[in-house]
This record gives sequence, C-alpha cells and structure tokens, in this order.
Amino acid sequence: MKLPLSAQKKKSPGIFSLLKPYSLMVALLILFALMSNGLNLWLPKLIGQGIDAFNNGNFAYKPLLIKFSGLAFLIFIFTYLQGIAQTYTSERVARDLRTRIALKISAQSFAFIEKTNPSKLLTNLTSDVDSIKLFVAQAIASIVSSIFIIFGASILLLSINWKLGLTTIAIIPIIGGAFYLVLRKVKALFKKSREVIDWLNKVINESILGSALIRVINSQQLEYDKFFDASNRAKDIGLNILRLFAWLIPIIVFTANMAGLTILALGGHYVISGSMTIGDFAAFNSYLALLIFPILVIGFMSNVIAQATASFARIGQVLDTEDLPETGTLTSSLSGAIEIKNITISYGQKSLLKDISFSVNPGARTAVIGPTAAGKTQLLYLLTGLIPATAGEILYDGHPIAEYQSETFHSQVGFVFQDSIMFNMSIRENIAFSDTVTDESLAKAIVTAELRDFVDTLPEGLNTKVSERGLSLSGGQKQRIMLARALALDPKILLLDDFTARVDPQTESKILANIGNNYPGLTLISVTQKIAAIEHYEQIILLMQGEMLAAGTHAELMGSSPEYVQIFNSQQSTSNYEL
Amino acid sequence: MNYNLNSLPAGRVKSSTWSGLKSLLKLVEQERKKLVLAVCAILLNSSLNLLGPYLIGHTIDKYIQTKEYHGVLVFSGILFSMYTVAFVTSYFQTNLMGGVGQRIIFELRNTIFNKIQQLPVAFFNENKAGDLISRVNNDTDKLSQFFSQSLMQFIGSIATMIGAGIFLLIINFELGLATLVPAVFILLFTRSMSPWVKHKNALNLESTGGMSAEIQESLNNFKVIIAFNRRDYFKKRFDLANQENYRKAIGAGLANNIFLPVFGLFSSIAQLTVLSFGIYLITKGNFSIGLLVSYLSYATNFYNPLRQLATLWTSFQVALAGWDRISQILSLSTNLVTIHDGTAEDQHAPLLEFRNVHFGYQGGFEILHNISFSMEKGKTYALVGPTGGGKTTTASVMARLYDPLQGTVLLKGRDIRSYTDGERAEKIGFILQEPFLFTGTVRENILYSNARYHGFTNEQFLEILKEAKLEGLLATFDQGLETPVLSGGESLSIGQKQLIAFMRAVLRQPELLILDEATANIDTITEKLLGQILDKLPKETTLVVIAHRLNTIENADEIYFINSGELSPAGSFREAVDKLMSGKRLS
Repeated sequence: MKLPLSAQKKKSPGIFSLLKPYSLMVALLILFALMSNGLNLWLPKLIGQGIDAFNNGNFAYKPLLIKFSGLAFLIFIFTYLQGIAQTYTSERVARDLRTRIALKISAQSFAFIEKTNPSKLLTNLTSDVDSIKLFVAQAIASIVSSIFIIFGASILLLSINWKLGLTTIAIIPIIGGAFYLVLRKVKALFKKSREVIDWLNKVINESILGSALIRVINSQQLEYDKFFDASNRAKDIGLNILRLFAWLIPIIVFTANMAGLTILALGGHYVISGSMTIGDFAAFNSYLALLIFPILVIGFMSNVIAQATASFARIGQVLDTEDLPETGTLTSSLSGAIEIKNITISYGQKSLLKDISFSVNPGARTAVIGPTAAGKTQLLYLLTGLIPATAGEILYDGHPIAEYQSETFHSQVGFVFQDSIMFNMSIRENIAFSDTVTDESLAKAIVTAELRDFVDTLPEGLNTKVSERGLSLSGGQKQRIMLARALALDPKILLLDDFTARVDPQTESKILANIGNNYPGLTLISVTQKIAAIEHYEQIILLMQGEMLAAGTHAELMGSSPEYVQIFNSQQSTSNYEL
Repeated sequence: MNYNLNSLPAGRVKSSTWSGLKSLLKLVEQERKKLVLAVCAILLNSSLNLLGPYLIGHTIDKYIQTKEYHGVLVFSGILFSMYTVAFVTSYFQTNLMGGVGQRIIFELRNTIFNKIQQLPVAFFNENKAGDLISRVNNDTDKLSQFFSQSLMQFIGSIATMIGAGIFLLIINFELGLATLVPAVFILLFTRSMSPWVKHKNALNLESTGGMSAEIQESLNNFKVIIAFNRRDYFKKRFDLANQENYRKAIGAGLANNIFLPVFGLFSSIAQLTVLSFGIYLITKGNFSIGLLVSYLSYATNFYNPLRQLATLWTSFQVALAGWDRISQILSLSTNLVTIHDGTAEDQHAPLLEFRNVHFGYQGGFEILHNISFSMEKGKTYALVGPTGGGKTTTASVMARLYDPLQGTVLLKGRDIRSYTDGERAEKIGFILQEPFLFTGTVRENILYSNARYHGFTNEQFLEILKEAKLEGLLATFDQGLETPVLSGGESLSIGQKQLIAFMRAVLRQPELLILDEATANIDTITEKLLGQILDKLPKETTLVVIAHRLNTIENADEIYFINSGELSPAGSFREAVDKLMSGKRLS
C-alpha cells in the first residue's frame, strides 16, 4: 500500500512539503485521529472479553457498562476534535496557498499574465486549491489512521493466533498491488481531465465575455456545440477513470472476503481442535471487519491524493516562476526628458517595433500616429515598462526604468489605456486608484476630464458603483474616467493611447485645453489618429508596421514625408468641420 | 425581469432537503433503466454481503461448536461461490452507478450552459463574470462530486443498512428493536441539523463565487494594476476576499463535521445494547452465542454504513447548496420571447421604425425618452451626439438586445418581437463598440457562425474577400487568415480586432448594418478603405453609423442627434454642417 505514496514523495517538491509550516496542526490532527481510531480498536476487544467472560461464567454488567460508555464518550470527543483540527488545518493550508499564489501573481509582469492566461490562473486559485484542501482535510488523517488501524489490527490478530493472523494479513499486499496497478493508469487520465476542465472553462468564459456578440449573431447553438464537445470529452474521461476504479472495490472486497473464509475454515479448525477460544474467534472476525474499512479508505484517498498531486503540479508551475528582478532605488522626480534608443520588440520571427530612436524634451508634446498595427500601443507599453524591449533602451533623465523605484516611477507617469478598464468599485475609487491621490488632485482630475457635470447627475455622485465591466457607463464616460485616473496621480508625464477615439470632439478639445491649463509643464505623449489635434505639437512620430518612417513637426513632415501627407489628405475633406 | 442572481428573492429557490432531492432526481429520469439495473446489482451485492455473516454464525453454531469440521468446509465452499458472485455484482454496481453519475453531470452541465445561452444580454450585465463562471464550474463540480463519488456509496449504504436492519429484526425482534433505537436518535438529529448545515455551505459557496469574481476582475485588468503600481491593490482585495472565504469555509467545515462524532457515538451505544441485551437474552435461554456473534456483525453492518452516511450526508448538503445556486440560473427565463404577430412583412414599410420608444436598464432611470424615427431601405444614417447621450442604447434596442419599456420597434412593418432570433440576426448586423474575439485564428473569427462559406479552402475564401474588397484589411495580420488569436484577443491591437469584427459583420450581408464606433481605433487611411467596402455592399443595405469622427459619417443621407435620451433629426450631412456653420448649436 505504500508504493503509490512513496512514488509521490519522490517528486520534488512533493505535495507533503506543503504541510511543513503546519506541522503542529497536522500533528494535532493526526494525534486526534489516532486517538479516536485507536480507541475504536478497543471496542471489539471489550466485546470479546465480555463474551468470553460470559462463556466462563464470570460475566458482570457493571464494569462492562462503565468501560464501554467511557470509551464511547472518549471516541466521541476525539472524533469531534479531529473534525475541528481537520477543518482549521485544511482551510488554513488552502488560504495560505492562495495567498502565496496571489502574491506570486502580483509580483509578475504583464506578459506573464497574458502568457499564462487569466482563466488558467483562476482555475489554479479555485479548483486546484480546492483539491489540495480536500487532500489535507480528508487524506492525511484518514491515511495515517488507516495505516495505524491496519497495523494495530494486524498486531492484535497476530497476538491472538499468529498462524491465522498471517494468512489474514496476506490480503494487504494483494490489495496494495491492485491499487498500484490501477493508480498508475489513472494518473495520466487525471492530467487529461484537468486539461479538459481548462478547456471547458475557456468556452464558458468566452461565452460569458462575448455574450453580446453571440446574441447579435444568434450563435448560441454554435457555442453550445463547442461546449458540448468539451463536456462530452470530460464525460468520456470520467467514464474511463470510473472503469478502472470499478475494478478496485470488487477486488478489495473479494480479497477481504477470502480472508474471512480463511478465518472460518482455519479458525474453525483451531477452535474444534481446541487451540483457540470461541471468544478469540469472534474477536478475529471483528478485527477483520476493522481491517477492511481502512483499506477501502486508503483506496478512495489515493484517488484524492492523485488529484491533489496533479493540482499541486499545476500550482507549482506558477509558484516556481521567477520573481521580477528587484526594482531600482532611484527616487528622484522625473523632468520629462525621455530618450528612446534603438528600440526593437520582436515576438519570434515577427518584429512589432524595429530600431526606433527619438527623444522627448521636458514639457514637450509628442504625437505618435500611424495605421492599425503599426506598433503604437506597444511603444506606449514599453514607455511604462509594461513590456520589455528585445533590444535597445529607454532612458528617463538618463536612467533606465529599472533603476527607478517602481512606486516613484509609476506615480509620475500616467497612462490612459485604449480599452476601457473599470473596476467594480465606486467611481471615486476608480479614479483615485493610487494611494497617493489627495482630495485636491482628485477634484482637479475630475474637472479636467470634464466629468464634473456627469458625476453631479448621479444620485450617489462619486460613490456610485461601477458594474464589473463598466456596462452602465458609455464608452466616452469610461474613457474620461480612465483619463481622470491617470491625471489624479499629478503625473509629470502623461501617455494617451487613442484617447480621442470615443470622446466627442467638443469635449475632447475642452479636455485638452484643461490639461494645458491645469497641468502646466506636463510632458505629453499621445497616440492618435487625428492630425488636426496635434498639428501644433513639438514633435510628431510616424510609425508604420513597426518602423519609424518620419519624425518632426507638422510643417517638417508635410514637407518631407509622403506617407504623412497621405494621412493628412485622408482627413482633409472633413476635418474642417470638427463639431 | 431581475437577472441579478445575488438579489433574487430567496424564497423562490430555497428548497428543503426533500424538494431539492426531488428536483435533483428529475435529472435522473432518462437514466431510469440503467439506474434500475444498478440498484438491482447493489441490492444483490448487499444481500450477498449480508448473508455472509449469517452463514458464518450458522457455521459456528452448527458445526464449530459441535466440532463437525466437514460442515465447516461445506459452508466455506458455499461462501466462496457467493463471494465470487458478489465480486461480479460489485463490479457492475460501481460501473453502472458511476456511469449514471457521470451522465447526470454531463446533462446538468449542458443544461446550465444551454440555459445561459438562452438568457439575454441583460443577464450578463447584471452579474459578474467571475461569479457566473464559479456557478457553472464550481457549483456543478460540487454536484458532480456527489453524483460520481457519493451517490453509489449512498445507495449502497442505505441498501446495506436496510438489509442489516431487516436481519436484525428477523433474528430476534426484541433485540433488533433495541439495536435500532439509537438510529432513531440519529435520524432526528440529522433532520434537525441539516438545514443549518446546508445554509452554512450555501454561504461558503457564495463567498467562493465572490472570490472568483474578484480574481477574474483583477487578472483581466492586470495592466492597469501594473501601470498604476497597485500590485498591493490586487493583493489587498484578494486577501480580503480570501479571508472572507476562509471564514465562511471554516463555518461550513465545522458544521459539516458535526455528523460524524454523533453518528459514531450512537453506533457505539448500539453495540453496547446488543452485547448487554444479547447476554441478558442468552441467560434467559432465548439466544445463542453463535447468534450473538453474527448479531454483532449485523449491528456493525448497520452502523458502519451509517457512519459512512454521516460523511455522505455532508457532501449531500454541499451538493444541495450548489444545486440551489444552479437552480437560480435555471429558474430564469429570457424576457425577449418571440411573440406571435399576424401582420405580414410590408415591403413598402420602412426597414426599421421606432414608435414612441421609451427605454431604461433594469433598476435604473429611463434613458431613452419617447423616440420615434424610421429608416428606409438602402440609405445611410448617422447617430451623433455627446458621450452618454444614448446612442449605443438606441442601437442595442434596434438589434433587440433589449425590448423597449414602452412603444414598439418595427422591422419591415412588423413588430421586431415577432421575428425569431435567427431571422432577426440574419437581417440585422451589429458591430459592437467593444469587439470580442474567440480563441482560434483570424479566419475562424471572421467566419464565426457563418454557414455560407463553410468548407471553403483559404484560397477560395481569399477570392471571396477579394470580391468584397476585404482582402486589403488582412495586410496587418502577419500570418494572414491563419494568424492565431490568443485568449481574449490580447495578441491583437484594438484596431485589428475592429477590422475582424468589421469583416465578420460585412460577410454576413445583413439588410441593416449598425456600426457602433466600429472604426474608432482605425487609422483614417484604412477607414477610407472601409468606406469603399461599405459602398460595395448591395444597394438595399441600410447602414446606421455611430461615430465621433465626421469623415466617417459624411456620406450619411440623414443624421440624427441623440442627446440626453432624446433624438432629433438634423437632415443630411451638408445640412447639418451648414446649420453648425451658421452658429446653431445642435447638441
């Protein structure tokens, strides 16, 4: 029976390593389990003694009653304590494991989250932790006490009659062997079944996040079919696992029954030949019953252990990820001078940005324009340190981002993302997203982003809760809240990613004027599609398919870059009429 | 209809153990045949296992006590053949019952998913994605654990108990009654504790849902958390949810652990009863030692499964709590039913017409006030106005993502509610403000749910794209049609996602195509290309364009201003601009 267990242990770090910090609790748990189970072993002994005493004619009710009730009460107490210890240990292990995973995740880069895929991380934090919790709650105590009972019962059997005892104990290795064979096959299936669960989760996630599109296109049936495939696969794997396990229990029961038969035939012989008392014979039968149950329990628990091991391996992948290198120590304030030197970003064969170099002066306004998939957003991500460059470097006041303490750096660089990202909190918390935000800077940010009037129309004002994906707000409102979020930091540098896309032109020009008035000296880098709004900027960078085609003022580019002129012309027919 | 699962009136779905069990059993109906077979196997198996101790007791009394070894051997032979049969029935019992469990869970999962597919957009707006995912995964999993692992033991245990109980009563009625008395206490105890235990588990599942929602939100918004250096925010919020979950789980765990010690105590009492009462009966001459030995094992056979039931009962309560949460979803139905409307399509009627439409989201203010307009076949309309004015809401009502609170929407002169979802989706295309992509390839996303080009090779499909002038839009995808789309489309820029959404909608050739800021993040040159593509659409196609950039709407035949939920016509683009130029403020 120890074969699968020791096989687990070889893996480093095994799932048992998880229990080290809780050794005291686990010890208590095991102690209570052993006490309650050990005392349980005593009961048949008492019964056997009672029968023998009766057979010998010296039976008395009183001592039996007292001993028996005392024992039963103690068993009750210890079983209850075991339950409590079990709950606290398992929940604590689960909680701390979740905290560890979350801590690990929170120290990772954006690229890690994208690569690992949020829905897998969600499964790690929920179902995977749950199966480990089940392991702690049920497996540890039951396995230890089962082994204890098996040992105890075996010793008692041997002490009563060693020959009969040995033949009875022979069932243990037989059953152990059966387990080993079945579990070896089941392990691969468990891994597959976890993968299918990930697949199921993905289909569910997409059908929830894409619910509007699915309803517009009326593709519910298609989604159902996708789900059905995954669900069907899960069922098939489940049935395969079942078929293997279906052999296990009959084998155990049959083997145990054979032991019972041996006791009857052989023990009967001993009783008849007078080498064994009838009371011992009865006790032998009771101990056999005691022996079977723990063997069955170990069987069920090996299932739990196998699942927990699979889950722990998945969690291990997250926990083993390297932490980001220590952040820098520079805490100086940024002037706004940025130097972008020979930046390249490539994923495999594909280059998103190729050898980009330009510099930004403090307080200057820089626009980045270019067609879809030119690498504009990547450039901004790079400037905030969200993604690393494959080659080249970015210097703020002559120092790379890594040299700055991340708090110092991020509190001076405001970023307005292109996609709306709202948290399920109040509007106030969504805007004052950083700890450093004062009431004053919050108010200034709200006024600058032209949100004052909107907030005033809400009955609960700034305390209005935004629903999870910000569905109760319009696209433009969300974008302005995101702007206010960046401005509330009182940043030295503001990065705008296509901020104007969802805001109507009047509001847009008001907001841009507000920024100029309320945040003088701000260094601005703005990704945009519209030339009209940036004509007077100090610098315009033209990106196309990852390459920097031109850089300069509007007038310079109009003279030197045919591509720029083309974009300019494409906007001419109507840009006079900005509403 | 209120779709917020966490604020549904509790009375509606709160079920007692038995009514919960009944509705659960409905799931089993198709499995009746297999179930009957399985129960037969279980009963046969249990009775064989029960017969064993009886025969052993008989052998002790008849042969061992009388020292007749031959009889012992004969009965050993009988027992051996019995155990062999039990081996077979035991295999079938596990296999059949487990199979039933697996298929029930399969049905259940599919039913929930199917139900969610039938619910309208409002349902998804009112519930957090993480909470929904937790309900579909985690809560079904709790049921699945019960069905696949516990149900068989449950039935087996009950069968063994009943059999053992009958044997106990048959062998000696008096002693049998005395042995069963503690079981009555257990029953009473279980009945009085179960609702409390289930409630504790429900609270636990709820906090799990909350935690899952928290994780989902933080992970999906991780870039903001990094850019604003709020990794501590993620930790803090998570710790809070985690701690809350811990507290609720401890509560549930302590409640769940109450059954086992009590069951154990009463089963000890029962053994004591058998022993002392049995000995008393023997002294009276009504009983034998051999019978007492087998009686003790029957008592064990009765109380051991009962102890097992203590554990199973807990998992049953957990499953019921999960079932309640799932039933909440299953109890919902769509509020967008297809109504029967006798009127036929009128080819001369406007393609789409709003008549005095009022609309507001569930639990909110009225957003659209008394809107009326009509849109003719083949024309282009633009909806403009400040943010938050109601443009997207109007478009959503057009596509019947929602029904108006008052007033009607007519499609070709017929109430839009009288079209089936399929008919409507074929006629109306809607490019949503936030493009959504599925994991897969660009091609799969463009052809998502489009049967027309099913089975086309990439070359054939490229021809189609060329004809529709769509081919040029593929230039930004480095591997063309086969460019992979990773989870949530994060590998692509928003502009690229908008291009895919655009191709997807155009290829479906709807009669009415709504573009809700569908090109907002696309550069002006590509946008011109999109304009040419729209020009290539069949003449009868009606376009509704929502945009801030004027070049997107300059070809509009008619412009509507939408502000504060009110709509006013502003004539053609030229007229609108002229009005603006002459100083009239329109919004």
